[in-house]
Amino acid sequence: MNPTIKGFLRKEFSQTLRDPRMRVFLFVAPIAQLLIFGYAISTEVRNIRLGVYFSPGDTLAQRIEQRCLASGWFVPAMGPGEDPYRRIQSGRAEAVLIAPPGGLTRAMQRNEGRLQLLVDTTNMIRARGIERYMQMVIQQVISEASPGQEQKPVLNLNLRVLYNPGMQTSFFMVPGVMVMLVCILTILMTSMSLAREKEIGTFETLVAAPIRDWEILLGKTLPFLILGMILVLIILGVAMLIFGLPMTGGFWKFILSSFVFVCTTVSIGTLISTLACNQQQAMMGSFLFMFPGILLSGMMFPIENMPPMLIGIAYLNPLKYFLTLLRNIMLKGGNDQVFWNNLGILALIAVIAIAASFKRFRQTLN
Amino acid sequence: MRKQAWAVEVKELTIRFGDFTAVDNISFAVKPGEIFGFLGANGAGKTTTIRTLCGLLVPTSGSARVAGLDFKSGVQALKSKVGYMSQRFTLYNDLTISENMAFAASLRKLKPGVLQSRTRELFKFVEFDYPVKTLVKNLPGGIKQQLSLAASLLHNPEIVFLDEPTAGVSPVIRNKFWALIRKLARAGKTMFVTTHYLQEAEECNRIALMREGRIIALDTPQRLKTQAFPEPLIEINPEVGGSRQWVEKLKLDPRIGCIQPYGRRYHVLIQNQAGWKKVARTMPKSLKTRPIQPSLEDVFIRLVEGGRT
Amino acid sequence: MSAGFRFSRAWSIARKEVRHVRRDPFTLATALGLPILLVVFFGYAIDFNVKDIHMIAADRDNTRASREWLKNFTSSRFFKLEPADPGQDPQSALDTEQAKGVIIIEPGFGNDLGAGRPAEVQILLDGADNSTTGIISGYLIGIQQAAWKKISSGPRVQPLSLQTRFLFNQEQNSRWFVVSGLVVVVIGVLSILLTALTVAREWETGSMELLLSTPVRPLEIIFGKLAPYLGLVLVSVVMVYLVARIQFGLPFMGNHLLFLAGILLFLCLCLAQGLLISVITRQQQLAMQLSFISGLLPTLLLSGFIFPIESMPPFFQYLTYILAPRWFMVISRGLFLKGVGLLELAQPLFMLLLLNLIMMGLALKRFKKDLEP
Repeated sequence: MNPTIKGFLRKEFSQTLRDPRMRVFLFVAPIAQLLIFGYAISTEVRNIRLGVYFSPGDTLAQRIEQRCLASGWFVPAMGPGEDPYRRIQSGRAEAVLIAPPGGLTRAMQRNEGRLQLLVDTTNMIRARGIERYMQMVIQQVISEASPGQEQKPVLNLNLRVLYNPGMQTSFFMVPGVMVMLVCILTILMTSMSLAREKEIGTFETLVAAPIRDWEILLGKTLPFLILGMILVLIILGVAMLIFGLPMTGGFWKFILSSFVFVCTTVSIGTLISTLACNQQQAMMGSFLFMFPGILLSGMMFPIENMPPMLIGIAYLNPLKYFLTLLRNIMLKGGNDQVFWNNLGILALIAVIAIAASFKRFRQTLN
Repeated sequence: MRKQAWAVEVKELTIRFGDFTAVDNISFAVKPGEIFGFLGANGAGKTTTIRTLCGLLVPTSGSARVAGLDFKSGVQALKSKVGYMSQRFTLYNDLTISENMAFAASLRKLKPGVLQSRTRELFKFVEFDYPVKTLVKNLPGGIKQQLSLAASLLHNPEIVFLDEPTAGVSPVIRNKFWALIRKLARAGKTMFVTTHYLQEAEECNRIALMREGRIIALDTPQRLKTQAFPEPLIEINPEVGGSRQWVEKLKLDPRIGCIQPYGRRYHVLIQNQAGWKKVARTMPKSLKTRPIQPSLEDVFIRLVEGGRT
Repeated sequence: MSAGFRFSRAWSIARKEVRHVRRDPFTLATALGLPILLVVFFGYAIDFNVKDIHMIAADRDNTRASREWLKNFTSSRFFKLEPADPGQDPQSALDTEQAKGVIIIEPGFGNDLGAGRPAEVQILLDGADNSTTGIISGYLIGIQQAAWKKISSGPRVQPLSLQTRFLFNQEQNSRWFVVSGLVVVVIGVLSILLTALTVAREWETGSMELLLSTPVRPLEIIFGKLAPYLGLVLVSVVMVYLVARIQFGLPFMGNHLLFLAGILLFLCLCLAQGLLISVITRQQQLAMQLSFISGLLPTLLLSGFIFPIESMPPFFQYLTYILAPRWFMVISRGLFLKGVGLLELAQPLFMLLLLNLIMMGLALKRFKKDLEP
């Protein structure tokens, strides 16, 4: 092996890994983050704070309340039963169900069976979910209360969720968080390490040495490529062992796509560092890339719903392709066509990023 | 092979950055084994010239041969023949001494065995005896400079370029460092040193004075002095405060060339001996005068003043 | 370390920092470009009202009843229905990322319906994509009900109806939800990006020692260094506020003074956090990592901005109690949309104040301790 590259490897590893705090950040923090975001984040509508107002003796309304709480979607609202509107405004309740005065059963007999539902619509996704759940609970209670009129189900919707039958949130989130962590760490490490050489002046030593441009570039990037791949494996280990994610599409496909992706992000990090003169600028530059990159990856928000211009940008986003690859390889069996198509585009982006960073890098050298 | 080749030979070298001309048509040559000083204020073009000679910048026009190589024969070959110690501290603070040396060696593709023996040799030479496992950031400033020098000598270069090697170190360390530079020159290395300390320039075999991208003088320190001051220089030591008026009077005297304040004293440049004797007779006893050797500072001021008119 | 804080000295440091910032295109781009990027992205790009989801329909029955039933999907405009390739296994459309869901109607569907027997429709959803699956299954319930009404003969009398009032956002505009939380994200993200390395850099390059050897007091240094960034962040907050009100037509139901108080408390907290990180790490790369973990990701993911805190497991719900963005989110949304007053905001404001005191106390203690010989 080229002794210069070997020297770079040894130097970068001892610089990055000497500080024990840095080791923690590099290897323990991603695991902690994966755990936090894999467990904590979901858009599921749960734990709805519900307050129910009914006149004493209204057994039907009472039954609806019990049913709601038993469904697992609702929890009782906090605080005393004050004015319903104020209770929602202050956040002690998220939804309030109000039965007609004089009892629900009597109102139904008069054909005036109306329940009023007040929902906090600050978060409209939750508001809609709450309405939907409430409707389902009420229908259930009604059909139980009047067995004579029980409707035969005329149409059965046989809904099957493939690849994630348990609808586990972690299956959704973990591939996305993997993409995010790998992207953030590799880009930041690469761009800041190069910017640091410029900031403290050691870049001059590299430039004054009788070595080729590509040797400097490879020497400065290869260590982070290796660290990035180690990180990928650690994160994969946590994803599979703790979250029980499958690897249905073949390990080699996973490794190959990860490798191409890390090549891309490391090159982008290099590109950013050629534009920055200190570490703070490198960090901001990285962020200006990563932020849209993460948001336009389809990790949290569906790309299909975005305006055409943003969809166009998303098609240039390496994170989008890597996410598609990860989900397909881990959960969906790694369809060959999907694999080669997405990997091809990702590789093309990687080649462009490498070429661009090499060109910019040579310009900064001269 | 010519025996008496120049170590560095620069002809009509010009370097421009956009509209700004950093180095303006300079020519000079450096002998092997010489301590060659580059003297000038900040921004005079010293660092730009050095960086060009080390192969870090491409000249706009003109030619330069360093260690018998010019730019056409490839920058890489040139870089491997020279050692360069930049103005900024270029070792890694977060690596140990031995790690820094190992990395410097890998940049030059030295074999591990060569690294071992060279490091031992160099550390002995520069009298460096810190444990090699010490982190560089824990070393005192002057020691760091020594280590920097050792690192730039690792590949046994023929010519060593030192860009302001003693900026910001104590006078004691500075003297020690210059002793090292002399030692290296005696060992046959060509030492190319920039500085803006005039005292230091006295140590060089020859010095080039740079101003605004041009070389305004180039010679041995001694000859520079005699050339710049064909007439002797007189120092006036005004012991009594009131004699200040006399100095003002002297300034107007047509027989006096110029007067420069020098601390509490004044350096007076006279036009000829006969004229000075007449002036001296009229001066009060409290003004002590004596003829002195011009320092490089006088030379510098003279040349720069001359350049302005 | 006695008193003697002088604004003049802090001011001159601030002026020096302003000159730095003005010459630094990255900082300016971040301070002014990032809020715009955030607003454009969150304001325009995110739309929770799903439309045009690609679905594939394999109608193997192909009777009038089945076609009628499928029309429910196409007319809803949430879905874009395409017929399946006859020779192809419909599931492969999901494997190859061509569609998010597949509807399979087996032969006999029309007959079953006609005979009053329960008919069955199979729907396969792509469970690997969280962003759409939940929404699709939500819509499916509605479609089932609509279809049921159509197919079952005659209108049925609902004995009990639910009247829902959507408070604070009657039109269920998803932009109101997102944009009202943006102020939190802008402050949280910007203050971290701008200040995380400012003080750490002074330590790393050794210029902090130089500054400390002058008669300038440490507090003056800190204040002077951070003041310009505070100004930059406030400018971008105003920008976001104006865009929210003018461009997105958000209401502002609460008191502006309360809002300002919340902003200042939150901002101070972010800066104190950045300072603490700088002092602890004294190294830029570490400071950056720590800022990302302790500031950026919680602001985006654990504040309730998009992902509701209520949906988190209990442990994480309690964890968010010590996260400032979570409390400021309550304040921001409460004031924009709900029109809450001091009474309702007492808890979040108190929490911000408490966290401020703790954070600043820690930062200053560490800072002073480091200065003693």
